[in-house]
Amino acid sequence: MVAAGRLMLRALNPLSKLLVCIVGLLASVLVFDARFQMALIVVTGFTLIALNRTSPLLLLVLMVPFCLFGFGFLTTSLLFRQDSDFATRMAGEAFLSSPAVSAGLTLFLRAVACGMISAFFALTTDPGSFVRALMVHARLPPRIGYSLFAAMLLVPDLASEAQQMRIARAMKTGRRIRRVPGPGEIIHLVIPMLAFAIRRAGRTAVALEARGLSPDGPRTVMSAPGFNRSDMIFIVVALGIVTLCGAAVVSDVGLR
Amino acid sequence: MRSDPSSPKAGFAAEWHEVTVQYPFAKGQAVGPVSLTVQPGERVLLLGPSGSGKSTLLLTLTGLVPNSIPATVSGDIRLFGADVGMRQPWAWAAQVAQYFQDADQTLCGMRVEDEIAFALENRALPPKHIADRVTAAMRRVGVPESWRSCPTSTLSGGERQFVALAATLVQNAPLFVADEPTAHLAPQAADRLHALLTEHDPHRSVLIVDHRLDGLIQHIDRMVVLGRDGSILAEGRPRTVFRAKRDLLASQGVWCPVASALDARLEQAGIAPPVAPLSVDEALAHVDPGTTSGEDVDRAIPAVEAFVAEYTVRSPHTAPDTPILARLVTAECAPFLGPTVLRNIDLAIHQGETLGILGANGAGKSTLGLCLSGLLPLKAGKRIGAPGGCAFQRPENQFTAGTVRDEILDALPKQISTKDKAEHVAGTLAVWGLSGFETRHPFELSQGQKRRLALATLTVSDRWPLLVLDEPMAGLDAHGVSTLMREIQALQGSGHAIAVITHDMDLALRLCPRSIVVGEGGILADGPTEELMRDLALLQRAGLAEPSCARALQWLQRVASC
Repeated sequence: MVAAGRLMLRALNPLSKLLVCIVGLLASVLVFDARFQMALIVVTGFTLIALNRTSPLLLLVLMVPFCLFGFGFLTTSLLFRQDSDFATRMAGEAFLSSPAVSAGLTLFLRAVACGMISAFFALTTDPGSFVRALMVHARLPPRIGYSLFAAMLLVPDLASEAQQMRIARAMKTGRRIRRVPGPGEIIHLVIPMLAFAIRRAGRTAVALEARGLSPDGPRTVMSAPGFNRSDMIFIVVALGIVTLCGAAVVSDVGLR
Repeated sequence: MRSDPSSPKAGFAAEWHEVTVQYPFAKGQAVGPVSLTVQPGERVLLLGPSGSGKSTLLLTLTGLVPNSIPATVSGDIRLFGADVGMRQPWAWAAQVAQYFQDADQTLCGMRVEDEIAFALENRALPPKHIADRVTAAMRRVGVPESWRSCPTSTLSGGERQFVALAATLVQNAPLFVADEPTAHLAPQAADRLHALLTEHDPHRSVLIVDHRLDGLIQHIDRMVVLGRDGSILAEGRPRTVFRAKRDLLASQGVWCPVASALDARLEQAGIAPPVAPLSVDEALAHVDPGTTSGEDVDRAIPAVEAFVAEYTVRSPHTAPDTPILARLVTAECAPFLGPTVLRNIDLAIHQGETLGILGANGAGKSTLGLCLSGLLPLKAGKRIGAPGGCAFQRPENQFTAGTVRDEILDALPKQISTKDKAEHVAGTLAVWGLSGFETRHPFELSQGQKRRLALATLTVSDRWPLLVLDEPMAGLDAHGVSTLMREIQALQGSGHAIAVITHDMDLALRLCPRSIVVGEGGILADGPTEELMRDLALLQRAGLAEPSCARALQWLQRVASC
């Protein structure tokens, strides 16, 4: 059951998931209510844990930067009333008269909800399938699509390249290599890394051209995800849940 | 000079006529003037010393130079009778499959099956047809089905090279161009790749640049040698050229098959093989102890002994009581951010010792080298002993300064006075043959000069009693290799312990009295290199091969037993 759910989530067209995630993010921005944000967090998190078998610990770790970001709003609301008013005013929300704590909490939860939705997309989507879907269904030019593929390969290579440069520097300075590079070391690495990335990009461009990638003209895209009934079901169910949550909050507010 | 193929000039697969190439800001021409042709179905080997413009010449073939890589190109370049400039480089992909030296130059960052399908997708072939051809290419090259969905970034360097080969062979183009395809491959993998590249097909021409000739040269129809000035120095059938132009090729630093050296010695002994040999077996076939007269065999013995002596260990063995310089105890080694690849490693290197580290691609040799030098922390276990420096597989990764002088200066201890530093720099550059390059950017140097600069920065301060050299000879011409070998032996003579990571069995046999064989997540064997090289089962298990002189050694043993 769990394996089937995981398979189902991964087999969905990335563009279906993208659509649902964009709607979720928009709803999170538009509905300024802590309960709604909580509902988004719980539903998305539960889906990831139950169907995608994502470790709760991993989810917590992934949410750390979003929590820190949201915590900024929360503390601003609590400590600086003026800034809190400013933040909520900037958000253009209906509850400008809400207490500072409530507004801060809602902003905090909104940051986490956005993080959870982003994590849902990232954890259930193969980047390659996403790029292929964009090329086939969203007319992303192949040159940009394949440049994205190359960039994906570049990221792990950049990490190992940076490590080699750090070893080279450590050898020259006679110091032991530190586990985490300090600010000075990072500054020294920037230019060589940039030079590496530029050289690598040039070589990749030559490789793509040598294997026949043309700027226009017909081409086949293998393994491009298509749309099927499960995509439709997923979109309807997911948007239904978002709408229901939103409607429940709005009607509750209306009753008050 | 014009190439002179034996068949009519019409209908060439590829043709360069009076071609010259000059890169922007370069003082001289990178290539030419060169006139060269490749016939349909012909397998041509392009040889030449480092910097003779071989790679540049290949890149002009589909117009990548000058369309994608800026340069000034003059002369006439034709593919299958058509002017190359008539189409964009990408439009030649159906006719020309290009395999570059570095797999990362061929691969584009996708999953294995997507990489292999990419060129066919660009030709808008039907999906079913592409799927069938991808499966066939994977089987032909020996890419396991389990790799199909793996991102290429998760494979080792050698594994990526095989995927790159499958991705190029799948194009089924009538002209296949390969630039040093085996430079970073272990012997068995290199043999497999050579066999795939040179499969006879009357409809496919092959133009290949490679320094590793043994196992390849027998399948080559014609060879062309470029000189240092980028013009053609010699060309013809390999047997003819390697015998007739042997001295010329040696003086230019061009690689020759090992059999060529044996041929020269037998010639000096007055018992040259009737046909110029391309392998040691061929060189000794006419003096087989079972069928040849004793007199001929007796005349051949000193020549073969001298040949074997030239290709076996020259460095002295380390005495058993020599102090240990560095040691790994029950170590677990893992690459940066990677899983553990080697477990339970117990390894010691002694003062003044040269240790060979051998093994197949992806066995963990480089990781072991970094752990032995102490530059990469161990996952478990401990390292005891003196600190080590490492010369990386790609010397470019070692350079952090803007000029050759600054590279050396940065490596000197800070407490040295400015005057002393200047003297140190001048002396070091002179010792390593880099005088006159002080103001050059390290990336502008040739491959051999880069390797020497990397070693110079490691040895200038006497900070590193232990040096780990990762594939120090990859991509060097014969001159570069002999120079570097002398320098390594000099370092050993000055008391340094040196660990040489290599795929070159001949080099290991010449340089390293002791070697270890890495594989299956640990050290498979540790002992005298000569003994390890005789263990065929071990070599087979570790993806290695016998050194070139092994057949000559076996011949001597047969003679002794007769």
